[in-house]
Amino acid sequence: MDQLPATGHSLSNSTAPVVIEFKNVGKTYKSLLGNSVKAVEEFSLVIREGEILGIAGPNGAGKSTLISLMLGYLRPTAGDVEIGGMSARTYVERNGIGYLSELVSINPKWRADSALVRYATLAGLSDAEIPRRVEYVIDLLGLGEHRDKKVKALSKGNLQRLGLAQALLRDDERILVLDEPTHGLDPVWTQRFRDIVGDLRRSDRTMLIASHNLDELQRLADRVAIIDRGRLQRVVSTGYEAAAPTTTRFRLTLASGFELVPAVFPGAEEVGRGEYDVTVQSIQDLNASLANLIARGALIASVVPERSVLEQQFREAVGESQ
Amino acid sequence: MKGRLAKYSLWQFRDFFFQHGIGIAIIGLLWGYALLTPIRAASGTQMAAVPGSPIWSLVMQISSAVVSVSVLIAMNGIVSSDRKAGYYRFLFSKPVNRELYYAQQFFVYMVGVMLIMTILAVLLRTTLPAFSVGNFLMYAALIYIAMGGIGFFLSAATRYDWLSLAAVWLGARILRGFYSGPRSGWKGKAVQLLPPVHRLDDVANSLIGTGSAQSSDVLWLLGYGTLFFVLGLAVLRYGSLAD
Repeated sequence: MDQLPATGHSLSNSTAPVVIEFKNVGKTYKSLLGNSVKAVEEFSLVIREGEILGIAGPNGAGKSTLISLMLGYLRPTAGDVEIGGMSARTYVERNGIGYLSELVSINPKWRADSALVRYATLAGLSDAEIPRRVEYVIDLLGLGEHRDKKVKALSKGNLQRLGLAQALLRDDERILVLDEPTHGLDPVWTQRFRDIVGDLRRSDRTMLIASHNLDELQRLADRVAIIDRGRLQRVVSTGYEAAAPTTTRFRLTLASGFELVPAVFPGAEEVGRGEYDVTVQSIQDLNASLANLIARGALIASVVPERSVLEQQFREAVGESQ
Repeated sequence: MKGRLAKYSLWQFRDFFFQHGIGIAIIGLLWGYALLTPIRAASGTQMAAVPGSPIWSLVMQISSAVVSVSVLIAMNGIVSSDRKAGYYRFLFSKPVNRELYYAQQFFVYMVGVMLIMTILAVLLRTTLPAFSVGNFLMYAALIYIAMGGIGFFLSAATRYDWLSLAAVWLGARILRGFYSGPRSGWKGKAVQLLPPVHRLDDVANSLIGTGSAQSSDVLWLLGYGTLFFVLGLAVLRYGSLAD
């Protein structure tokens, strides 16, 4: 079967220590003329050690504002953000956070490799560690042929990779925050990035990934917080639960035994040669029906959800808030 | 793990050199050339620039102006450029205290300005033997603290730092010109709170010329700059870097 996310891929659990806590956080921007815009409102969320949390939301939903609040770049106008039991800013000043921003802003006059050496110095790496780690991230992100270039000479994709490289300079980073990490990357590097993030998963490392790309979050995150208009709409677990009810439609493609489909999946719609859209009530239901189909002699080529659980939840959540 | 801020000062110095230092040196050399060429043409190789002479007064004014312009250039974007361009995002996701980072940058830039002023002063001394390099450097340090402190605050608090600093500097001179004197009432008292730029000419003449100046003038200038430098640090502590 194709594209079904694996269950139980999370290293996190509900007893793991809380690492990041948004406590009823609000952020209101006020203009000089007295107009105010609420970017974040009454946002509460707990993120535990070892967890990969996705943040999804439409443009202007408040994703980047939340991250700025978490890094101490903005002060909340209400509530508090705590990391490791201390204020977000204190935590960042003491420990640092591996951070890739949506807009990669590095001085265009710096050379790519010297930019990494600068960031490594600020990250607290020793003189002995700096060359080793810089070489490591250059190699990991495939920046070898671009290392001597000025930042202004890098393409958007290479700049994005440089941004990710500086976020990964410390091997012992406990928190990683990636804001639209595959923005500007080509398909090859998008996949490579996903592999890298997969390798970064550790039981003592907490990751937060903000993205428009629901498929990416479905693959990488344990849970996804869906926000819209600055409010948390819902938190979705990305794993399929066998008995959980679902109204998800799947596109079934068969190599042979087309005539068997209507009997096994009543209400199946034929959408092309050997292709059917079917609706099931649960994953158990789907598997039982597929087993029935195979037992009758059908040859299944692929089973693809029309929408992922996350996409379905996202549409509902964002639709509800509007 | 703490960030190695002291080690990073070498990078800050490099940035100063390429982003500000070369410009300051070129402006200083051009002004020096523009000052000395007509004097040399008029007086030949024997330049009669001794304290109290008209030429000496011109040298004081030009060298004082070079210091002021150098500080303006050095303060240009010292904090605000990181905020405007978004460079703060990666700098301060590292274990670094932003007040310490920018305070260090302020003093690294001061070292850079003083080095360039030293070179310019030594060059000037080769043609004006009465010109004291030490006195000039004392004056440069005083102006860096006085004017730079205000510039640092403006850079931390606004996006248009050097324009604001130039406006404050010139505005203070103009307002003091209008409202100083016993008949100015409350306006006369209010302008006393403005930066003490009107004392610069006296301080420049006495400090560069003789190596001494009225201690009240020096303290007023130093105190003003230090106060605003601390206010700039407070803005960094309690303000937001992001918009």
